[in-house]
Amino acid sequence: MPLLIDSAPDCIVHKEHYSGDDIADFILNDNFADCAGFGTFMPGSTYGDDGTGAETLYMIVTWVGIAVMVAVLVAWVVYENRRLVAAAAGFTQTEPPATGPPPQPGGVGDVR
Amino acid sequence: MIGSLLAQVESLKDAASAAGQTQDSAILGEQFYFFTVVIMWLIHAGFMSYETGIARRKNALATAMKNILTIAVVTPTFYYFGWWIYNCNQPGLPIGPNSSDFTAAACQGGIPWSDAFGPNLTNNINLVFFLAFLLFSWTTASIMSGAIIERARLSAYLLLACALGSVVWILDAAWGWSAGGWMTLRFGFHDSIASAVVHGVAGAFTLGVLLNVGPRIGKYTREGLARQFRPHNLHMTLLGLMLIFTGFYGFYAACLVIASTAFPGWANIYLSPTTLGSIAMIITMGFAGGFTGGYFASRGDPFWTVSGGLAGVISVSAGADFYAPTLGYLIAMGSAAMVVYIGNWIEKSMRVDDAVGAVAVHGAAGFLGIIWVGVFAAGYPTGVNNVDSSIGGQLIGVATFLPLGFLTGYAMSWVMKKLNILRVPPEVELMGLDVAEYEPNLYLPEVAVASEQLVEPDGTAVDAAVVLRTARDEVVI
Repeated sequence: MPLLIDSAPDCIVHKEHYSGDDIADFILNDNFADCAGFGTFMPGSTYGDDGTGAETLYMIVTWVGIAVMVAVLVAWVVYENRRLVAAAAGFTQTEPPATGPPPQPGGVGDVR
Repeated sequence: MIGSLLAQVESLKDAASAAGQTQDSAILGEQFYFFTVVIMWLIHAGFMSYETGIARRKNALATAMKNILTIAVVTPTFYYFGWWIYNCNQPGLPIGPNSSDFTAAACQGGIPWSDAFGPNLTNNINLVFFLAFLLFSWTTASIMSGAIIERARLSAYLLLACALGSVVWILDAAWGWSAGGWMTLRFGFHDSIASAVVHGVAGAFTLGVLLNVGPRIGKYTREGLARQFRPHNLHMTLLGLMLIFTGFYGFYAACLVIASTAFPGWANIYLSPTTLGSIAMIITMGFAGGFTGGYFASRGDPFWTVSGGLAGVISVSAGADFYAPTLGYLIAMGSAAMVVYIGNWIEKSMRVDDAVGAVAVHGAAGFLGIIWVGVFAAGYPTGVNNVDSSIGGQLIGVATFLPLGFLTGYAMSWVMKKLNILRVPPEVELMGLDVAEYEPNLYLPEVAVASEQLVEPDGTAVDAAVVLRTARDEVVI
């Protein structure tokens, strides 16, 4: 029994030993014989069957991924904006007169 | 009785043999696309090196990180909706008289919760084919990334990359780079290795973005003459281009459909016959012609010579499945020469600061590429309706892809500009993006204290400090 989550589709059977129905002696195929797609949370159905692919759990997991992706993009904009505004303020305070070479990384104008 | 049994046994053997062949063919196809994906990673290593070398030292790390992070955002967006756009929008947009058949098996393969997106014993191809297209998507974003270096925000670039890599180019691919696309079915549009589908559209999108992001501070004098920023490592740039060229062989191969159990074993994206050897030959002749044209048109300028090779290849891509080698060589040479002049015109007359010449090299060469098919290779049946390629069909492609790329890039970057999230603050641009975004002490002290130089329009190299600060105070961005 899985410790926390059993995400395997129902089409997977659990045979304890090698089966004579396995196609080759190095692929334990028989446990998966009734499956097509058998990834985590997948329905185990045949691809394209009746035009449907996934069932509830797999779709929920997918939508969680979509929500995270959108959140990451928004966070990227907000986070970078904060860093740039802070850096610009720091550069303005420490900017030397425009008569010599510009401040370089690690040089006079480096505020970090 | 025995005869009947023997016949049944033979029939079963034949069926088993056919099934075995089908399985072998599927696994061969799976391996083929897998290795094209591996080779195509070199394109992105190349773009990173290319752009980083062009950048001034103070922006080198930010430029490289931008390229790497393309993968972080275009991959999930292309998975969640890009592949759906390609598979479900070939007849047209989702809503309207030509809307798609969403119950089709091919469409189902593009939906992110389809069980074709995972270990699936009945489908060896969907995931590797998806990955090949994903690498094309990264390429479109990378085409834009170099043009806007040293002043665009990372986050702005990433949003634009998602739009270009996961929506714009893949929509045009659905329409004109598939056997069932409406441009192919109705007009015989032919762009077999994606001259305009990838490069042209990305170049048009980039031009739209560049008009809003504006030039780098100090790029133009008060009189509007162009200054040159010195690349901090031109050798790195040339190496990057060579990596891109190597990756292009994977790109070209991935544009073919492999069907090893059917004669002749290979088809272009429109399912018309070709061979892997023929497209490899054209790409090589394209490089040769492109380098030559770029060299002479630019009078031996290293950047434009090597970029000419890229432009040459892009210009022969659309007809690479049936061009004669000599035709490929000549088209590439002429196109590369034209691209050098177009690039200089964009910089000096349009006053658009395209740091890597992407609009000319990818955009102009890409659209030239599909026009050349109409001029030199009309009459080839294209797509499942077998409509002949023609100049009319190719011009339909220009008229569709150019506004699709340009307007979306312009509109999206215009909104970002209004929201003030498109460009870094001027203070950060002068100091360098590396210091603001990343580690301040990147270089050894003896390297760090070297002053920045730029080249005035008359060819004089001057210290950049005063020029840039004066330009910042004068220019309203």
